Amino acid sequence: MSTLSLIGQILFAGLAIGGVYTLVALGIVLIYRATNVVNFAQGDFTMLGAYVLFALSNGEKINFFVAFLLALVVMAVLGLLFELGVYYPLRNRSFLPVVIATIGASIMFQNGALAIFGPMPQKVRPVIYASGNGGITLGGVFFDYQYIVILVVTLALVLLQYLFFEYTVLGKKMQATSQDKDMARMLGIPVSIMIALTYIYSTVIGGLSGMLVAPIFFVTHKMGVMLGLKAFAATICGGFGDVRGAILGGLALGVIESFGAAFISTVYKDAFSLLLLLLFLLIRPQGIFGEKVAEKA
Amino acid sequence: MLKLDNVHAAYDSVVVLRGVSLQVNQGEIVCLLGANGAGKTTTLRLISGLIHPLQGKVCLEDKPIHHLSPEAIARLGVAHVPEGRRIFPGLTVRENLILGASNRRRVNKVELTSDIKKMFEIFPDLEKLQNALGWTLSGGQQQMLAIARSLMAHPKILLMDEPSLGLGPIVVQQVFSVIKQINETMGTTVLVVEQNAVIALSVASRGYVIENGRIVLEGKASDLLNNTEVREAYLGGRRTCI
Ligand SMILES: Nc1ncnc2c1ncn2[C@@H]1O[C@H](COP(=O)(O)OP(=O)(O)OP(=O)(O)O)[C@@H](O)[C@H]1O
Ligand SMILES: [Mg+2]
Repeated sequence: MSTLSLIGQILFAGLAIGGVYTLVALGIVLIYRATNVVNFAQGDFTMLGAYVLFALSNGEKINFFVAFLLALVVMAVLGLLFELGVYYPLRNRSFLPVVIATIGASIMFQNGALAIFGPMPQKVRPVIYASGNGGITLGGVFFDYQYIVILVVTLALVLLQYLFFEYTVLGKKMQATSQDKDMARMLGIPVSIMIALTYIYSTVIGGLSGMLVAPIFFVTHKMGVMLGLKAFAATICGGFGDVRGAILGGLALGVIESFGAAFISTVYKDAFSLLLLLLFLLIRPQGIFGEKVAEKA
Repeated sequence: MLKLDNVHAAYDSVVVLRGVSLQVNQGEIVCLLGANGAGKTTTLRLISGLIHPLQGKVCLEDKPIHHLSPEAIARLGVAHVPEGRRIFPGLTVRENLILGASNRRRVNKVELTSDIKKMFEIFPDLEKLQNALGWTLSGGQQQMLAIARSLMAHPKILLMDEPSLGLGPIVVQQVFSVIKQINETMGTTVLVVEQNAVIALSVASRGYVIENGRIVLEGKASDLLNNTEVREAYLGGRRTCI
């Protein structure tokens, strides 16, 4: 393997895993922007998505793609329940009770999954089931189909989301809601619906990212913990509350981790993102694009 | 059109309005005068449904509305230009205007575009700024945008909270001549809260004076302008401003 193709390989893997961080981070940022709530359960949505897909597709009683779509619908319902259970009753309080409620929900999700699915790690099939080695080799770089799917989905979602917020009135209403709720209400914008939609969308992309990484990692009740942590690191490095920051931060984190694992140490792979997070908090706490975290909190 | 009947309201346990009664008739401009902390903003927030009364009634066209949400009240045709203008800072002038029509059902593109064009006729400055983000606007431009945004709602009644605040005398004149123009050409009923009594009474037909959450004086604009208490309190002399 030439150095160039090795670098290409590492970059590709890094971007793909970074795509997953991006999706989780986007969920965090959208909820934060809409409601000022830092959602500590966002990582667990990946775990829930993966388990729901596992439960629906296990035994192949229904077509995998139907199961995939159904799992997204289940996540949407969960998102609405999460909003109604965790955010809505506490919406007129300060942000702290809600944040604590999200931590409670996170614990509940993990223990619930443990109770239902047990401690055994589970496997979910990749989206593209091809014979052979499950990918293609181009210019000495092996492109795993699942990694390609993750990247394509991430890019498509980022693009769709951009178009939605820039070019639709509903997108503008959601932005208005996140900028000034009382004013939005006085204009007749149904703010509770906008917020519910935000929670639903964030839960769905969280679940989706879990469904996409499930074939790469094992599905366990703890799988969302590390993903959530990485996504937080990505949002802080990118600029907390900034959508561009979540995208750039997520992808950058994936790549840095991937190179770190290849050239420095695989064992300390997870430490790189935390190191990067510490560096950012010390040197540029407002992240690449954003405002200062301390001021926001 | 709009009637407040013995309204009491509080923030948490602090009672701020203690029996406010006032009435705004169809097609009128009515002003509500009062010093800092008198309860003017609270009165408007209460009409808009952001807070609910402890006691008393708010009626719009004889139907009680004080139990409704701000969204529902907006849909009934109450538009509010709030204290501080509250332009969406991250949206453009045009987008702010588009959202002004959120309370209307089924607004098609053509109608929306023609409404925005009408606003640019009333406020020519906004046309050049239509793609500028809200936060980049000056205070006067923001006030114009806030008024234009509220008109996009096709309101039956317009509530305005201290439109003169923080603006230079020329811009204040412009704002009030626009209020007069809107009232005359569109027939929009206006309830305007002010501390600048002279300018407010010059466009209003009637006025109320609020003190410590109570209406202490009411009358025709011309009578209030000549009233000694009003003169003392709002036309120089005793007036203290923060
Ligand atoms: N959110 C709030 N929480 C608690 N008290 C409040 C709140 N808003 C206003 N108040 C109190 O209610 C009283 C009336 O306030 P309000 O804002 O209605 O006055 P105002 O007449 O609009 O004054 P100004 O001319 O300064 O805008 C004041 O004593 C104020 O301290
Ligand atoms: Mg006020």
